[in-house]
Order: sequence, then structure tokens, then C-alpha cells
Amino acid sequence: MSSKNSIAITGSGAVCGAGLGIDAIWQNILAGKSAVGPIEQWDARRWPVKISAEVRNVENRQLVEDRKLHKMISRTDMLGLCAAHQAVQQSGLLAHRDTLDDAGKTRFNDRTGIFAGSGGGNYRSNYDFYPALTASAGSLPKFGGEFSQSVNPMWLLKNLPNNVLCHVGIRYNFKGTNACVTNQCVGGVMALAEAAAALRNDEADRASVTAHDTPFEPETVAGYHRLGLLSSEALRPFDRDRSGTVFGEGAASVMLEKNSAATGRNAAILGEFLGSGCVTEATGILDLRPDGDGVSRAIELALADAGLAAADVGMIVAHGNGTRASDASEAAGIARVFGKNIPPVTGFKWAVGHLIAASGALDTVLALRALREKVVPGIAMLNAVDPACAALPVSNQSQTPRSDVALILCRGFGGMNVALLVRA
Amino acid sequence: MKQKRRIAITGIGMVTPVGNDAPTTWAALRAGKSGLGKIQHFDASGFPVRIGAEVKNFQLPAAIANSKHAKFASRSHRFALAAAEEALTDAGIRPQADNSARWGLSVGAGMMAMDYTEIEMTSRFCSNTDGADGEFQPDGLLDPKYPADPVAFCRSQTNAGLALLAQQFGIRGYATAVHTACASGGQAVGTALKVMRRGHVDFMLAGGFDSMLNPIGLSSFCLLGALCPDNDTPEKASRPFDATRAGFVLGEGAGFLVLEDWDAAKKRGAKIYAELAGDGNSCSSYRITDSPPNGDGPIQAIQQAIADAGARPEDIDYVNAHGTSTLMNDKSECAALRGVFGADVQRVAVSSTKSCMGHLIAAAGAVEAGVCALAIRDGIAPVSANCDELDPDCAVNVVRGQSRPLKIRAALSNSLGFGGSNSSLVFRHPDEVKA
Repeated sequence: MSSKNSIAITGSGAVCGAGLGIDAIWQNILAGKSAVGPIEQWDARRWPVKISAEVRNVENRQLVEDRKLHKMISRTDMLGLCAAHQAVQQSGLLAHRDTLDDAGKTRFNDRTGIFAGSGGGNYRSNYDFYPALTASAGSLPKFGGEFSQSVNPMWLLKNLPNNVLCHVGIRYNFKGTNACVTNQCVGGVMALAEAAAALRNDEADRASVTAHDTPFEPETVAGYHRLGLLSSEALRPFDRDRSGTVFGEGAASVMLEKNSAATGRNAAILGEFLGSGCVTEATGILDLRPDGDGVSRAIELALADAGLAAADVGMIVAHGNGTRASDASEAAGIARVFGKNIPPVTGFKWAVGHLIAASGALDTVLALRALREKVVPGIAMLNAVDPACAALPVSNQSQTPRSDVALILCRGFGGMNVALLVRA
Repeated sequence: MKQKRRIAITGIGMVTPVGNDAPTTWAALRAGKSGLGKIQHFDASGFPVRIGAEVKNFQLPAAIANSKHAKFASRSHRFALAAAEEALTDAGIRPQADNSARWGLSVGAGMMAMDYTEIEMTSRFCSNTDGADGEFQPDGLLDPKYPADPVAFCRSQTNAGLALLAQQFGIRGYATAVHTACASGGQAVGTALKVMRRGHVDFMLAGGFDSMLNPIGLSSFCLLGALCPDNDTPEKASRPFDATRAGFVLGEGAGFLVLEDWDAAKKRGAKIYAELAGDGNSCSSYRITDSPPNGDGPIQAIQQAIADAGARPEDIDYVNAHGTSTLMNDKSECAALRGVFGADVQRVAVSSTKSCMGHLIAAAGAVEAGVCALAIRDGIAPVSANCDELDPDCAVNVVRGQSRPLKIRAALSNSLGFGGSNSSLVFRHPDEVKA
């Protein structure tokens, strides 16, 4: 039974430190295995933070088959294209397009949207300029004559924040409405919400949505560490002894379709997008409100958008990034909406790390899996619940969802709060 | 079919290479005054391209300069704060405690988040100097002498500009930052229109801001060969549609609009520049570097925007083209205009205001949206400067020589980005809005 405004989800995909593909990631989470381990991308022996949830032991060819592309895009794009391909393949839409006549194919392509949530600019890309900066030793006129000797002529295009959008378009010949959201942590979930809105508004019949990020690099680790946001030990959401977040990297993707289009081609429907809410607390870059104002307002907007009541929600995938301030205020915001009737709550960052722009999208594909399996996985890193989060029914053991609806919460810099509702 | 919610443009703010506010910018564009020149704010003398379109003599408005958030603002964030402040003042309305959650914010933000001085400073600590190859050495960041600056780190976060704007003006509703290269500003304004129509908010501050006029940004466009190298004649360097055009001129700045529900704006007696009537979006999915020569991609975006506005091509009197002055863009865009308007294409006045103010990258579409609204208000199609010898491939009705008085019933603005994202917006004259 689909609600009036719901959108079908007919494909999903993911890659992160916990695995290549949703099956692998899910099995690791159920088994209580965390992908957090020693930093391998550089020698971090002297670093105050030595852990991350890296994508390890995966060859570039496993991410993107086309070798020519490897030099034209960056690692975050590779991860995004890998997840996107999984979702496109699972949807069966390319085979469906093959059955159409030429006019039908053209219409299909023009009516297929492309949405991306991207980490945006990174620090890594600047390193390409270091040889020229070093050679010119602080002299700008010298640098002006130097950079073309050592920097790839395609540097700018390799580092476009919207590269995944472009390459998904080119690879599958999708040409419809599109957006690339670069809103730090909430970029991915906002891309998903905008894609669903475009389908509701009849701007497209289907849309590929991909969120991807590789926040894990020396300058972000150093910067976050100085701000006191990183744990050097483990990511323990809602735990009394939590000490910060841990970076991961990866991507998640879904294929959205109008319900009528999906049922019309007898597609297997993995779940439905029901609604979203997005607000900012207007608290500046880092700060957030201790009372969880943004969390509760985002949830209320999402419920209204979906035409649901709080009691309809069967489980919550919390942002749970493991920082003192975010987890406590998130608990307060959830409690304000749900009162004493909070459904089972979990979070996945303890296992996959914090994927920043891709975090909420990965949570969404995992929430769909949880609903289908009727299991709310436990938070294996949870030892003792913080009194500030005591209202939350969180556990290190599996729980059972109380309905087929999941609420996904995603929070980010800029006081951003986004809530999504899905059904499976 | 249910009438879509009508959205009014009631405030405009700009910081551009031809003026530090909207009235000055608009007067310069009408007069065809160039904002292009030798790059002044860093020493570009050794670069292959030494010209740009800089914002000049800029100062933050007092209301913002005194705010404690200002220290977090980068160069382009400062342009954004000033342009947004102007737009809100111009609209005569701003978020209040009782309606701040009904205000939204949509921005097109540039891709370069880190200031050049930070990059250069970090490179000094983190470049391998054994053999002077300049390879990145992470441990340099741990050097006790490394002047780590948490404020600079915060400033370099992707959504720092969005965060500062929301905080400065107390906007607590929907907030988004988008980036589709040169289409970003147009997409941000289009997103704002859609969010308002969905009813998530009643007011929106929408715009874009960017500055890639720094040694790294300038290098990156030089490497691509996208910039016009006419270092000795900067004011003639940007010549969209001209047969001798040779690339774009890199600019910087910000543009913001205040958007309101049409009926609410009428009720409070607001001055309405124009209706923000339609948004269209497509992806060319052709090549990362090139535009499709036949206009495929932009055609769909333009058609969608016109349809979304409930209009027909014959209603459009003026097009503010993307018109970057690169060989490929202008050819592709003109092919798209011919594709959409057909035999009627010579009726439609076309100009590229980038001829005077350069290419503002992620801010371009937002500033040009404001230009369309002002063109409608004043009944003037601004000049497309420097088009002395019209390229036969660009045989459309270019506003050459000087600005042209023109009753504009509806205007179209195009923003076509690297990577193939195309954004088109349609604006309608208030007199043409049927109750």
C-alpha cells in the first residue's frame, strides 16, 4: 500500500570501509564488526588520531571498470560511481530502456534525473600545486610560470564537486533534471529529498541519487582533531564514555522511480521514500543547540510531508556521530517529538565511520535493509548509555522495528538537520 | 491543473566587478561599462593570463562588519554577506523571531573553499624539500610551529558560507548549498523556487557567491585554456558571440534575491521586480569538457523552464545568455536558442552581460537572475559589449553597440556548467501576471 506522495526505490548500492556492496556491509554490522582500524593512507604513527574506517583492499578496477576514467576523476568520484552502478544495475532500468523504441529511449533519458550529494572541495587537490609552490619559493611571478610544468592540465575538471553527477549522466546517458548538493554532512540526504521532490513534481520519472565523500585526509583529521571532534579510540554513539567521531569514506546510491512507472514495468520495489524535512538552527558553522531544536523541527516536517504521525515510525537511524554535543542534543530532539514512546533507535557510524556527505544516504540504504529483515542492529560499541541520552531505546543487541517505517536523521555543520522517512 | 504558487522577486543585492551594489552594477551594465582589467589584488605578472574581473574597493556594510561572524568569512563569503544584506534591505523585510523557520536559504557556492594564503602556508610546512620535489608530507601538519588556525579551518568547510548567511540573518528553515560549476547560481535560484512552491517556506534568500581569482583558481583555468589571453586589452577580452572571441575572463562576486509569495508581497505593498516564474534543468551528458554543438541539453532546460512558467517561446522577449565568450559555449548556446525559438529567434533580444563583468562562475547565474529582473523593471535589454563582428555560428539577435529599450514581457536566463549541468530560469513582468 503506497501513500499518495510516496516514491518507489528500485535500486540501491553502497561501498564503505565495512564492505563493497550492501550485503557485505550489512553482514558486518549484524556481526558487530567495525571497519574502524589503523590509518593506512599515510604513515600516521606520530598522529594524535591513528584510526579511520578506510575502504581497504579494493582495487580501482573494482570501483570503476573504465580505466581511462581513473585519471580523470578523484577517489571520492570513484566511490560514488561504484555505488551508483550498483543501484542502476539492481533497478533493471537499463534493460527496460533497451525495450523502448527510439522516441521512447529519448524520452526515457530526458526524463531521468541525476542527483548527487558531494563532499565538495577537498584539501588533497591542493597538494598537486605543492611542487610548483615549492619550486617558486613564495614568488608568485615565478609560480605563474611554473605551475603548468607540474599540474595536470585537467586539474579543475578532475576536482569538480559535481563530477559524479556528470559521469553518471555520461555513462548511462541520463539527461534529466539534476542537482549536486554540497552542504557538508547533509548533502547526500538533501540530494535524495530533492530527487524525490522532482519526481513528485513531475520534473522526471526516475532519478539516480548518489552521495559520496572521502573526508578522511590529513588536513581534515588535523583540523577536526584540533576542534575536539575526533575520537582517538572508537566511535561510541550515545555512550557515557564517547569521545568523538571517526572518519570513514564511501558512497551510497539509490534509484528512485515514480510508483506508477515502477509498477508499470513490474520492477522489484525495495522500499519507498515517504517524506523529508530540512532545517538549520542558524547557529553558525560548528555550534548546535543543546535542546535539539533542529532535530525535532526536521522530524516534524518530515512526518507532515509523509502524512504520518510519530507513532507510525517503527525505528530510528540516528545521526549518532559520537561527539558529546551532537549525541546529547539529538537525544533531546528525538525525545521532544516522540515523548515516552520512542521506537528502537540505532546508528551505524560505529561500524562504518562518519562518511560526512555520504553518511545519511548510507544510513538510508541500510535502514531499508533493516526494515526488510525486520532487525534493528545493535550498536556494538555501546557499553553504557549516557544519562543525557537515557530516553533513547538504544542497545548493543538487535531490536525489532515496531512498524515498516524508518526515520533517518542527519546533522551537519551550519546547524543543519535533515530527517527522512522511508518504508520497506 | 492547479495554479502553481506564484513567487515574487522583491529584493536584489549584488557585489560585482562593475559595482558593489545592485544599482551601480545595473547602471554600469546598461552603459556597457567594463569591469575587466589587470589583476590587482595579487601579483599575476608571471601568469599566462594576467587579466580578470575583480571586485574593487569593497568594504563590508557596517551592519555586517561589526558582527562577530565576519572573521569566519572568506573573500567570497564577504561578497555574499554584503549582497544578501543589500537584498534584504531592498526588500524591506527580513527574518523575525516569529517567522524565521519560514525563511529558507539556497546558495550556489564556489568550489574553492580554502584561501590561497592558507594553501601556500600549508605547502611550506608540508612539502618534501629533500630533492625539492614538493611532494606532500602529512607530518608537516604536526610541526609545533605550524600556525594551525581553527577559524581558517572552519572557513574552509564546504558549507561555511551557507552557515554564516543563516546565522547572520537568522534564517531557520530549509537551507541548501549547491554546486554544478558555472550553473550553480542558476540552480540555487531554481531550487529556491521549487522549495517555495512545495510550501516548505514562505520567504527565501537565494543567490550565489564565488571568487576563484586567486593564484590557484587562475592557474586551473589557464591550464584548461579556457581564459582569454588578451592581456593588453582587458576591456575587449570578453566578447561573447564575436567571431574573434578567445575565451572567458574570470570574475568574482555575489548576487542575492529575496523571494516571497506573490499574494503576500502584494498584500504588504512590496515593490515587485518580476515574477520568478519557471525553472528548467538538464544534463547534456555529452563530454566533461565540451558542449554539444547542436545545443542538445540546453534546449531541454530552456523548454522546461518556459513550460514551467506556463509560458510559450513567443512570450520571451529577452535572453540573458550564459555567453561566456568561449568558442564552444556560445556556438552551442546559440544552436540551442535556434532550436527552441525556431524562425522566431531573430525577434528575441540576446545579450551576455559577461561581456562587461566577466564570468562570476558559481555566482554568475544568481547575479544574472537579478539582471533579468532589473531589465524587466526598466524595460531595457542591456548591451552585449564587444560583439563587433558577429560570428555566423552565433547568428541570433545580439544586443550590439548599446543597450536597447524593450518592453520585456518575459525574460530567460541560461547558466551552462562544466560537466554538462544546464539551468534555465524564466522571469515574468508583473503586468503580465494574471490574477
